[in-house]
Amino acid sequence: MKNFSLAFNNLIRRPGRTLALALLSAFLSLAVFGGSVMVLSLRSGLHSLEARLGADIIVVPSQAQSKVSFQNMFLQGTTGAFYMNASALDQALEVEGVEKAAPQTFLASLKADCCSIKIQVIGIDPELDFTVQPWIARSLSRGLGDMDVAVGCKVEAEVGEIIRIYDQRCKVVARLEATGTGLDTAVYCNMETMNALLAAAEAKGVSHKIESGDEVISAIYVKVKDGCDIDKVNSRLNGHIRKVTAVRTRSMITGVSDSLSGISRTITLLIAAVWGLALIILLLISVLIIRERVREFAVLRLVGASRGMLGRMVLTESSLCGLLGGLIGVGAAALLLFPFAQLIESALQLPYLMPSAAVILLLALGTVLLAVAVSALSSMIAAYRLSRVDPGTTLREGN
Amino acid sequence: MKKQIIPSGILLLIAALIAIGSQTFLSPCIHEDGSFGACHWAGQTLLGLGCVLGTLAVLSLCLKKAAGGFFLSALPVCIMGILTPGTLIDLCHMSTMRCRMLMQPAMVILFSAALVCALTGAVLSARK
Amino acid sequence: MIKAEHISMRYFRKTGTANYFYAVQPTDLSIQPGELAVLMGRSGSGKTTLLNMLSGLLKPTEGTVRMDDLDLYSLDDRVLSRLRGTKIAVVPQGRSAIDTLTVLENVLLPARLCACPLHVEAAVKHLEHLGIAHLKDARPPELSGGELRRMSIARALSQGPDILFADEPTSDLDDENTFLVLSMLRAFAHEEKKAVFVVTHENDARQYADRLYGMDGGILTEK
Repeated sequence: MKNFSLAFNNLIRRPGRTLALALLSAFLSLAVFGGSVMVLSLRSGLHSLEARLGADIIVVPSQAQSKVSFQNMFLQGTTGAFYMNASALDQALEVEGVEKAAPQTFLASLKADCCSIKIQVIGIDPELDFTVQPWIARSLSRGLGDMDVAVGCKVEAEVGEIIRIYDQRCKVVARLEATGTGLDTAVYCNMETMNALLAAAEAKGVSHKIESGDEVISAIYVKVKDGCDIDKVNSRLNGHIRKVTAVRTRSMITGVSDSLSGISRTITLLIAAVWGLALIILLLISVLIIRERVREFAVLRLVGASRGMLGRMVLTESSLCGLLGGLIGVGAAALLLFPFAQLIESALQLPYLMPSAAVILLLALGTVLLAVAVSALSSMIAAYRLSRVDPGTTLREGN
Repeated sequence: MKKQIIPSGILLLIAALIAIGSQTFLSPCIHEDGSFGACHWAGQTLLGLGCVLGTLAVLSLCLKKAAGGFFLSALPVCIMGILTPGTLIDLCHMSTMRCRMLMQPAMVILFSAALVCALTGAVLSARK
Repeated sequence: MIKAEHISMRYFRKTGTANYFYAVQPTDLSIQPGELAVLMGRSGSGKTTLLNMLSGLLKPTEGTVRMDDLDLYSLDDRVLSRLRGTKIAVVPQGRSAIDTLTVLENVLLPARLCACPLHVEAAVKHLEHLGIAHLKDARPPELSGGELRRMSIARALSQGPDILFADEPTSDLDDENTFLVLSMLRAFAHEEKKAVFVVTHENDARQYADRLYGMDGGILTEK
């Protein structure tokens, strides 16, 4: 206790030194905590993307931009609208090796009066769908009724609210869990609703460019039978159905995981650099402080402090500095990471899903402990040297 | 007396950031077609609140004897500032929009900082 | 009380033919309670080295220092340190204040370090006697050299030691305060029946001494 109170006293009455040491630890913890939360968010974003893609192959119309537009929709939540004849679904089911095939139809809303921006409306067939349906089921116990919509977590509409899409009144029946992907900004409905919306859009002069009368769909999600070679099924699909492109979802995920590992590496390097630098500076400061404090420690020795006491005092001081710095650093990182999570996600243009509160708390705790440990470790030399100060000679030298 | 200059100064700085930010780097959504969403009006309100806060900070600097009163009256302004984007005035209906992504969190942080600052100032003035 | 047997301090240094020189030649010395012993000598004669060896701060090259039959230098660091904070008090040369503590906190520091009860009133009384009670809440950097000196004397006295060592306790003091300090030290020895050992080069100290030693070139002589 006497160690602690003396150490505490030293910190309080030398605020400049304390703050400088604490700020160094703060930088360290800011980098470690901020970096690891970002890396974890990107990783869980990727997992969530894999889960939501859930199909082996995706078939989209072979129009020039539809593949890119599909990816952007998934990753960044931009709107996309491209169509093919609904008969493509039946054709896909005929292909050897296809276990399941589910259609989706996309529609970009006008700047609806509910929202000041375009939103993506995605029509699914609840009976065939195997990718979005399980996700919706987590927030909605029954199926999507006619003119019912489920909204992604980033669409700011409450359950029970009526939103207007092409002047059609749609009732929000569920808000979905976050996925960290572009799907969070979309609105989901069943095919009947989608057809009504398409008709309303047509009436408003928004054409979806396809021969009149026919039903349209935008994409087909294909699940390949176990044991079948996905690449072969992919090329069969490409050959069997006209005017479509079949894409392996793996290629999309690989693209994302490549840029993810790039970013992870950059962040890791950054953390390492900050670490190295902070450690060197902390060591340097603690060695410089030895000179400044030799006399103080000689006096303490003189009036009855044992070596162990002095060593513990130095370690207590630096640990307290580390604790203060760790808390400041984690606090500052939290102030940047959490309110501006959406901004970070948009800037990264990658799936980004925050880990759970428990994981974040653990990370914060770990970071603070790390800051304390690093700070204490860097003062080991000082603790050793200062505890071995010889009061007899030190106090004689230069008064 | 001298100690109050610090919270007053910081308050003035934050107020300037709020007022200027609400029209520039922290502005609400900008629509290509020039139309306004609800968030535009939230931005205008924040400009006004920033100006009120700035005035209070200047007054607390000039009329030092009444500084405590100005700090106290800054408190409800800050609370209003925190509540304006999203609660008192609606924002765009998508979290990926600029007003929700940038303006709202930044303003909440700035007004919260101003709140802490005003509270500190009020306590410092009350101490003597 | 304190009994030194055949202690010497030898340093390595090439001097003429030898590889070392004696800062203190082998010496026997004992300091009795109720006595103020004064050691005089020119600077560089080995006075401080002897004082440091006697007070448990510097291990002699040879010989033993005993306090109440305890061999100081065979003790564990913790035990010796505790002894230094309780039974042995030292007023060192030069500044010996902790700048982050107030004057009163500095005076109470030995008691605080050994977790002994803090006798605040006694400490203030010592400060009063030494004429610096009004500075008890000041920080050491605000004090003059003489005031700091008196503060460390107050610290040593407040410790309530069995033996008090003082190295040039009057070096920064004017005549009036020199008189004050030396008579306080003598009173401490006589009234409390404690041992006091003062090292000085000031001639005034001579008249307060119960026992007077001289030192020259590391050789101790009793006068």
